[in-house]
Amino acid sequence: MTAFRLPAPLHPGAPVGNAIFITHDGRRVEARDTEPIAVSLLAAGIPVLSRSFRFHRPRGLMCSTGECGWCECRVDDRPGVRTCTLAAADGMEVRSEHSWPNARRDLFGMLDLGSRWVPNTFYHHRFLRPRAVRKLYLDVLRRFGGRGRLTAGGIGPIRPRPTVERTVDVAVVGGGPAGMLAALGAADAGAAVLLLESSDALGGSWRWRTSSPPIGESTGDLAARVHGDARIEILTNTTVLGRYGETLAALGADAHWRIDARAVVAATGSYERVPRVPNNDRPGVMGARTVEWLINAFGVVPGRRCAVLAGGIDAQRVSDLLRSTGAEVDDDLADLQDIAGRDRVHSVAIGGPNGRRRLRADLLVFDARSPNLDLAISAGAAIESQPTGDLGARLDPTGWTSVPGVAMVGACAGRSIEDSAAAAAAQETGRAAASATRVAPSFSDGTAPSVPWPAGVRSSQTAHGSAFVCFCEDVRGRELTDELGAGATDPEILKRRTAVLTGPCQGKYCLHSYAATINSNVEPGPGWALPTGRPPLRPVRLSELVRDGSHDADR
Amino acid sequence: MTPSGSEIVIVGGGITGLSLALELSRLGMRDIVIVERGYPGGGATGRNVARIRAMQLTEELCRVASACQAKYERMGSDLNFNVLFYRMGYAWILYEEDEVARMREIVAMHHRIGIRSRLLGPDDVLDMVPAFRGGDPVAGGVVHRDAIVHHDAVVWAHLAALSAAGVRLLDHTEVTGIETADDGVRGVITTHGRIATRMVVNATDAWSDSLNAMAGVEAPNRPYRREVLVTAPVAPFIDKAVTFYRPAEGWFNQTLRGEVVMGVVDPAEPAAHEQRSSWDFLGRTATLMARKAPALAELTVIRQWAGMYDVTPDHLPLVGPTAQLSGWWQANGWSGRGMLLAPYLAELLAQQIARGERPRDLDLFEPDRFEPGAADAGNGDYYARYAAR
Repeated sequence: MTAFRLPAPLHPGAPVGNAIFITHDGRRVEARDTEPIAVSLLAAGIPVLSRSFRFHRPRGLMCSTGECGWCECRVDDRPGVRTCTLAAADGMEVRSEHSWPNARRDLFGMLDLGSRWVPNTFYHHRFLRPRAVRKLYLDVLRRFGGRGRLTAGGIGPIRPRPTVERTVDVAVVGGGPAGMLAALGAADAGAAVLLLESSDALGGSWRWRTSSPPIGESTGDLAARVHGDARIEILTNTTVLGRYGETLAALGADAHWRIDARAVVAATGSYERVPRVPNNDRPGVMGARTVEWLINAFGVVPGRRCAVLAGGIDAQRVSDLLRSTGAEVDDDLADLQDIAGRDRVHSVAIGGPNGRRRLRADLLVFDARSPNLDLAISAGAAIESQPTGDLGARLDPTGWTSVPGVAMVGACAGRSIEDSAAAAAAQETGRAAASATRVAPSFSDGTAPSVPWPAGVRSSQTAHGSAFVCFCEDVRGRELTDELGAGATDPEILKRRTAVLTGPCQGKYCLHSYAATINSNVEPGPGWALPTGRPPLRPVRLSELVRDGSHDADR
Repeated sequence: MTPSGSEIVIVGGGITGLSLALELSRLGMRDIVIVERGYPGGGATGRNVARIRAMQLTEELCRVASACQAKYERMGSDLNFNVLFYRMGYAWILYEEDEVARMREIVAMHHRIGIRSRLLGPDDVLDMVPAFRGGDPVAGGVVHRDAIVHHDAVVWAHLAALSAAGVRLLDHTEVTGIETADDGVRGVITTHGRIATRMVVNATDAWSDSLNAMAGVEAPNRPYRREVLVTAPVAPFIDKAVTFYRPAEGWFNQTLRGEVVMGVVDPAEPAAHEQRSSWDFLGRTATLMARKAPALAELTVIRQWAGMYDVTPDHLPLVGPTAQLSGWWQANGWSGRGMLLAPYLAELLAQQIARGERPRDLDLFEPDRFEPGAADAGNGDYYARYAAR
């Protein structure tokens, strides 16, 4: 990518920061104190932030919301920092992870060349002979694992958090447009509402939009209505980590929250549906909303020659936005076939009736997204295969899942707030939640809720064999089909053998294509279940879980 | 397809059932069925952290555990499948002088029977496991060259061997009833049909109480939840599998991929079939680990899960036939040591089943050794029991 800066962010509410200096792999870089680290590095011409876990592939900014983990770096001795969510500060030392000597030129990057011969189970059939050096093999193998580095003695004081308990009528998880509308609906029906938002302000994916929203009310006005409603308590910087039995647990900046709500409304949005083509993990492959965020909130344009895949309203809006910055834009591209480039996107191949053509591009933008089902699955809600090839929660017309007391609205329910009807539906679900009387779910014998395998719809959108399905563990589509062909068809066994769903993102970016690959290749067996949703719903640093004295383990 | 009858039905497709079936087939038994209610290895076998430790707290268990560890060391060659047996070493970390004094006796016992454990002073502990630097002051430690394995690989190695041996494994099949008559077991009723048999092995560990109840057999086993969390992988940092007991039992180790697994036990955990994760566990574990090993506080938790121990009053398993019902065999009550003990004890049990002779090494594990109403051992730490002796 050849990113460039505009004179100022395009969103009127975005602050213009002061110039500061940070380092990345020892290189001094100008940054802004209002920008996340990854944004400043991108603007300074550093697209490769770290290297991937297994094959040392170059990785950079992708999701912008702290979910995908591609941008993890070591920051001032703290490993695994998602640099798209941490603001730069003067003098910060940022180092790439899993690279030597640096992210751009990583000696171990050559591992990627042989990667197609190294399935995740390769070592089970090797290193047995000679027996005398069997341990030595593993000593060496072990050196290739891991990413970040720990520091003996720790890196600083830990601030224990007290636990705060709260009983409310309705808890709404996610402060985007759908969550705000649901909260307003519930409050309007008389409920005491708690609205939980993991970032520092309401708005979700609408927060940095500059064009008028599709429902006739601006994000700011909507947020102002929520703030003005006495029945809605807003907790920003508070991340829901799981639903443990009946209790919703959340991590706040200063406290651990235990929330007992009669109804939980998930408004958790969606994740990028990364194109399933070769080199789909190259720096420069970005979701449309990330591009919009970069330009509107920071005035950073991530590319000069932009290829934008055909999609929905996000793709159209962001194409227009890119053009307005002076970037060259090829938009409405259908049938992406591959992405080329070594350290970043260099060109893309597009199919079509007149044959395949190759476009030079330093940025590939897509707007496809898959619903965030984390909360639904961990609560044990029934999941179905959708005609799109993605999974979705089975919802009744009001938005209730199959689990009593758990409802879903907005993009996570497959209903993005793109028109007034969707907005009214989210509000209606909130209203219904206000009068919910929770029925205690009874799992037969305390075993974790089991979600029957969502069979049915076969997808034509399975991954290209060389495309990455799982980005945490570098698992390609081919690896899944090879294991399925070798008889590892049970979803749990396929998961364990290939390591999909087991990395830091816990399936956020691979669940849908993993399920589609299984459904397109084998008939589901009796009794199959979706791999159990295991908390925490988002990665959380151990230091953030430390409790203050009252709950000490000394008891 | 569920067969209408079988010479022997093993209920439970975890490490116990899989290794027993393999040993029986090696002794020439052909007609073996394993019934597994989920997928093979989906219970405690897929939920433990696969520490293979010869260094135990009592002499009799040390002897058996050494044989069990040797079996794992051979397993890769035996099954032609690398189960990643790795002698990273094991360390007990001690915090109080009475622990050191007690461990001195235990180390002397180890040396007597050929286990070359070492008692370390505080400085040696911090050199060997720098994770403890800056944490609560350590009083000492005991180390031994014990191992970890890859638990899933152990399952896959067995599945491949069982498939080659023609053993039938009915997965996603639940046992709903046991048929008995005056002369003993007659059959197993499953969700996919009835299997006539005169011999049933209860290899269901934490669910052994439910299955025993179906057969009208009594045993003192109680299920207790144990929880685990795993972190995002970091570069090799922890070179020992660590356990400490004060003020509560806690443990951690790093896998070959670099993830750190850890947990702190709740001694007040009630007996229950409970495999859901708890929020309390995360806070309990983070709080104590940050105090003991501050370096670990910068790890990122990506997942937590729970499994169960099937705990017996003396923390030793039940392995063999019960006099209560002819044809009913126990191979359960592993009390948290199933991964270690099962493959070797299954080999011995197979000899008894196939040849009718009970190997001496099974003496400790008589199924009917408890008086009716034997005390529940609870979820408290093992060390406390032995230290109190």
